[in-house]
Amino acid sequence: MSDDLVKVLDGNTFVVSDDRGDIEASLTDPTGLFAYDTRFLSKWVLTLDGQRLNALSVDDLQYFETRFFLVPGTGTVYVDAKLSVIRQRSVANGFREDLTILNHAEKPVRLRVRLEADNDFADLFEVKDALKKKGRYTRTAERGALRIAYERKTYRRSTLISSSQRAKVDEHGLTFEIRIPAHGEWTTALDVVAEMPGFGGLEMRGRRRAMEANLDRWLAAAPRIECDWEPLRHTYRRSLVDLAALRFAPPITGGRSLPAAGLPWFMTMFGRDSIFTSLQALPFTPELAATTLTALGEWQGTRIDDFRDEDPGRILHELRYGELTAFEERPHSPYYGCADATPLYVVLLDEYERWTGDRRLVRELEFEARAALAWIDEYADLQGDGYVWYRRRNEETGLENQCWKDSWDSISYRDGRLPGFPRATCELQGYAYDAKMRGARLAREIWRDPDFADKLEREAADLKRRFNRDFWVEDDEYFALALDVEGRQVDALASNNGHLLWSGIVDKSKAKSVVRHLMGPRLFAGWGVRTLAEGEARFNPIGYHVGTVWPFDNSFIAWGLRRYGFKDEAATIAAGILDAAEFFDGRLPEAFGGYEREQTKYPVQYPTACSPQAWSTGTPLLLLRTMLGLEPLGDHLVVDPALPAGVGHLELLDIPGRWGRVDAFGRGRVEVDGRRGR
Amino acid sequence: MTDAGVELFERLGAVEHVPLMKGASGTMLLELTGGKRIERWRIVVEKGEVAVARGNGPADCVLRADRTLFKRMASGRVNAFAAVLRGAVEVEGDPRLLVLFQRMLPGPRS
Repeated sequence: MSDDLVKVLDGNTFVVSDDRGDIEASLTDPTGLFAYDTRFLSKWVLTLDGQRLNALSVDDLQYFETRFFLVPGTGTVYVDAKLSVIRQRSVANGFREDLTILNHAEKPVRLRVRLEADNDFADLFEVKDALKKKGRYTRTAERGALRIAYERKTYRRSTLISSSQRAKVDEHGLTFEIRIPAHGEWTTALDVVAEMPGFGGLEMRGRRRAMEANLDRWLAAAPRIECDWEPLRHTYRRSLVDLAALRFAPPITGGRSLPAAGLPWFMTMFGRDSIFTSLQALPFTPELAATTLTALGEWQGTRIDDFRDEDPGRILHELRYGELTAFEERPHSPYYGCADATPLYVVLLDEYERWTGDRRLVRELEFEARAALAWIDEYADLQGDGYVWYRRRNEETGLENQCWKDSWDSISYRDGRLPGFPRATCELQGYAYDAKMRGARLAREIWRDPDFADKLEREAADLKRRFNRDFWVEDDEYFALALDVEGRQVDALASNNGHLLWSGIVDKSKAKSVVRHLMGPRLFAGWGVRTLAEGEARFNPIGYHVGTVWPFDNSFIAWGLRRYGFKDEAATIAAGILDAAEFFDGRLPEAFGGYEREQTKYPVQYPTACSPQAWSTGTPLLLLRTMLGLEPLGDHLVVDPALPAGVGHLELLDIPGRWGRVDAFGRGRVEVDGRRGR
Repeated sequence: MTDAGVELFERLGAVEHVPLMKGASGTMLLELTGGKRIERWRIVVEKGEVAVARGNGPADCVLRADRTLFKRMASGRVNAFAAVLRGAVEVEGDPRLLVLFQRMLPGPRS
């Protein structure tokens, strides 16, 4: 999605327009007003006396509000600079636009102001895949408002466009015949409301004032940062604001919010993304984790459903509200086809308790956590050999790769061949190990079930032993990307090794070799660790999961390095990724090119990456945690800093947790090669 | 009442603790249309315990569906959430209870 587009968003409602504030969407591009995965406005064009306007500037006031300054005229020569136009737009139950026209002349002016409006009610999936609509459209001008509606059997969606000033309404828009006195102004408020009849509980987000207060509270509640590296302060603030924007309060959570995955395609609940982002943000905004755990727990799978790849105990992959989901042409109601969210659910529950001491939630979610642990053994072990495997049962619209590297070519042998299904990728075994270890702690300390705890620990120890034997690539000393159906190693070298450190499944004796690979020239690009190592047949520095650098991936690798005591290496990764963030004005993209840093000097953004994206937004937060070495220990927070060179001091103040609020301080000491001096 | 509906409610009534959130509480009213008169069922969830009875009364969430469609939902042939999204089932009130309710429904294989 192009970056000269202007985006205003709040939760899963967002508006994407050009820099004049106009929308002229085709079926295949994600511009317009979207809510609940459905487009509610595809055309919105402002003219004065039949003329389009020119943009002077765009002010992003808040993530949910923006202001366009415009003048009439075409091209570079302004026909009439005696008028200026301000469109101030904020997302609220659709959006509201305050349109103001200023007359700078010494005599009055008569104008015909026209807003052309239309909509196609496209499902986001249709926009992605360019599909045709099956329903019927109507346009009605009624009592000073225009309603555009779409109907397919019982499915109805409509857009209501109204104005605070009297307008002449026809089926294609609103017209105002106005007169503005000398040095005067004319203004109207336009409301574009997204309507979903029949789903009464689907209240959309609040009004502007409430959102402003909410953002202020959000920022005030987060820890404050003090440091001598200005870009880090900027990146930190940007992360907090973007995370606030991506918060999404699905109707089922009683108004509490969890992170949606990313703009524009993924403004919805995702198991994996919501969990990873909640983990990253735990030291800063622990309430996100609480909502994520509750909402994902409520939707936990309860039955066998092949179309949705649902099993009892499985945590959902993706929930959608659009037309294709409604008619079961897509399985997202919700879709369960992912193999990592379920063990990660238990990991998050434990980590959440370690930070917050909220035992009540752990007790409340005991059933869900046990069901998730049971899923690992009963439903994920497709080969009956004690490993987590995946193979979709929905062959038509289900996901082939059910791990975070979910593109078709992400899992390969060194020579580029792709294994068949099922597949057991290595990081899934790490997550399963960690889930069992953490589940054991919860069982022993909170559920008071020491027998279950012992059982989980025995299983975890056994899994670790077998894993270190079966996945270890002897000749080159790293862990294979996966096992294939014959139990052979899918032997490409990939960043997944870093997630294994994070999970704790790696034998201490093997950690050094793993780190040597992660920080070696084949994987480490200078900014961060590549998804796939240079030299592998499928390596491509701009291949989605086969060579790009993912900030989120790196934040967990850094955490893994800290877990095994490799502080300096963790600091090197933090420095590289945070340096990259500077080039994106503090907003890390989903992925950037895995070119050598020395070669390009700046990070090359992956072309169609989502931005902002939740787990990229959470990355600087987790890197702050790894740089300061923050680790809860009982009722205390341990601080063990290892800062990159160039950061003289770093303070994080008022870190919330079971200890109340505490401060963490760090002083610089680690030298990092190739880092710009400051 | 349709056979599948009765069967479902018998099942709900028989299960002491359906796998629900321990903290979940609330009352749901089911209104089944398409017969001579509207048939009403109350599902009361109290800290994860479920009780079902015929009858009217105040509720946190009202679910309105045609009895033929409900029969298909109760037998696992129609997904409840998709039906809500396409307007075949109407929801009023707290949609969290809808999420809990759909958990009690069987899958297409059962």
